[in-house]
Amino acid sequence: MSSVAICEELDFAIDGMFTGVTLAGQPQSKEVRELLNIAVALSEMPRHEFKSRLGLELGWRAAGRPLAPNNATSVFQQGSRLYPVQGRSFAYSAAFHSAMAAAIFLCFALVKVQPLMQSASEHTATMLQPYIAVPLASGRVSGGGGGDHSKSPASHGELPRMTAQQISPPVVQIENLKPRLAAEPTVVGPPDTSTIAKNQLGDPLSKLMLPSNGTGIGGGIGSGEGGGVGSGRGGPGIGTGIFHIGNGVSAPRPIFTPEPEYSDEARQAKFQGIVSMWAVIGSDGHPRSLRIVRSLGMGLDEKALEAVRSWRFEPGMKDGHAVAVEMIVEVDFHLF
Amino acid sequence: MNALADAANERLLIEAAQQDPTRFAELYETNFNRVYAYVARRVTDRAEAEDVTAEVFHTALINLRRFQWRGVPFAAWLVRIAANALADRWKKQSAGKELLVEERGEEIAGDDPQVERNAMLFQLVERLPPDQRLVIFRRFVEQRSVREIARDLGRSEGAVKQLQFRALGSLRSQMKERP
Repeated sequence: MSSVAICEELDFAIDGMFTGVTLAGQPQSKEVRELLNIAVALSEMPRHEFKSRLGLELGWRAAGRPLAPNNATSVFQQGSRLYPVQGRSFAYSAAFHSAMAAAIFLCFALVKVQPLMQSASEHTATMLQPYIAVPLASGRVSGGGGGDHSKSPASHGELPRMTAQQISPPVVQIENLKPRLAAEPTVVGPPDTSTIAKNQLGDPLSKLMLPSNGTGIGGGIGSGEGGGVGSGRGGPGIGTGIFHIGNGVSAPRPIFTPEPEYSDEARQAKFQGIVSMWAVIGSDGHPRSLRIVRSLGMGLDEKALEAVRSWRFEPGMKDGHAVAVEMIVEVDFHLF
Repeated sequence: MNALADAANERLLIEAAQQDPTRFAELYETNFNRVYAYVARRVTDRAEAEDVTAEVFHTALINLRRFQWRGVPFAAWLVRIAANALADRWKKQSAGKELLVEERGEEIAGDDPQVERNAMLFQLVERLPPDQRLVIFRRFVEQRSVREIARDLGRSEGAVKQLQFRALGSLRSQMKERP
């Protein structure tokens, strides 16, 4: 019989020994029977861990260190026989853990007393760069949107004049006919593209003629949010504004990303981590309106901003057109 | 001559341990396999074998000063403690098994060659090559399948079976060489 066949027969017999299944074909060869006898004896072999642990326990007891009652079992040893307990160490450990638990409880208590402080810190983002209006592919200024929760969409009309700063948002239906201080309704945009409205103000893309400020909010005209015109949100401009990734809007793809420099301080401290920043990637692929949302400090935030300003992206797309998209950009600082 | 030397050496160890209990470790190392083999043959599962073995050595350590050397091996004293521990357990478990306890009591009075044989076998396993020893422990102590061992060790099932076969063959040969 070949050694491979003996191996197979032996292993089969050992499996039978463990499972308790009596096989019709008992091992035939004398060699396998002898080896199986050895295997049966080995199945009663002690575990290494048990032997070493018991030796340790005995050593402790022999050295006069107290063990819990009932010989080998201690408070932590029910059925598992872990290390024996030293009374003094146990007391130190209990005191330390109690102190830590009290400290944690105190922290929670303080946080509950100062909910406003917590709320403020949660929403703080470092504004390290003045806001720059993001131009759309057509050259207009984004961030438009508005309305007054009207049931009907915004009506058709002309855009108001564009200015660098908005004083009064445009409206179709004026509620206050005699304001104390009248101001020209404008939207934010490059002044060189300003137009002067000759007719009724409204959304140029709308086809409805029934006067309405639109279904949006914020005082402008349209279905968006803010004091501008259009379906965008968050701004006093016009147009569709800044898009979120998803729902037909693709994510901008970085195409030129020079490595950020390390600050001397961080390099000396061998400090590593990731700086996260909120950014608007314009339709031209340039990152704008960068704001640090997760800071590292040690000068790395400034280095990250410096690097990302030089980055270029393939812009996000919607319906085949490049659009401005907001996203989180991460800069990884690591030392090799 | 060797037996006499061993006996004298054991006596010295016992006296040393009686003077300084921390020396009990040497007696423990020498006799662990024998006690465990004795107990393991008399209980149904590994956990119980470990409980009783631990009880035996703790009892021995506590009562070491009362031990008097009369030429009987220290292992015999340990086995007697083990027998008593087992008897106590069986009595607690069921009154109906008291007869069995008495039978066990009779049995332990004499030598059990299989215990000596198993204790020797456990010792020989420690001297196997590392890969064979690992397979033996996984297969027989942890009772894992050849497939599991092969996966853990990153080897083929055939290779594990070969290691198992060689290890058992080596142990058999060494056992045959022993008296």
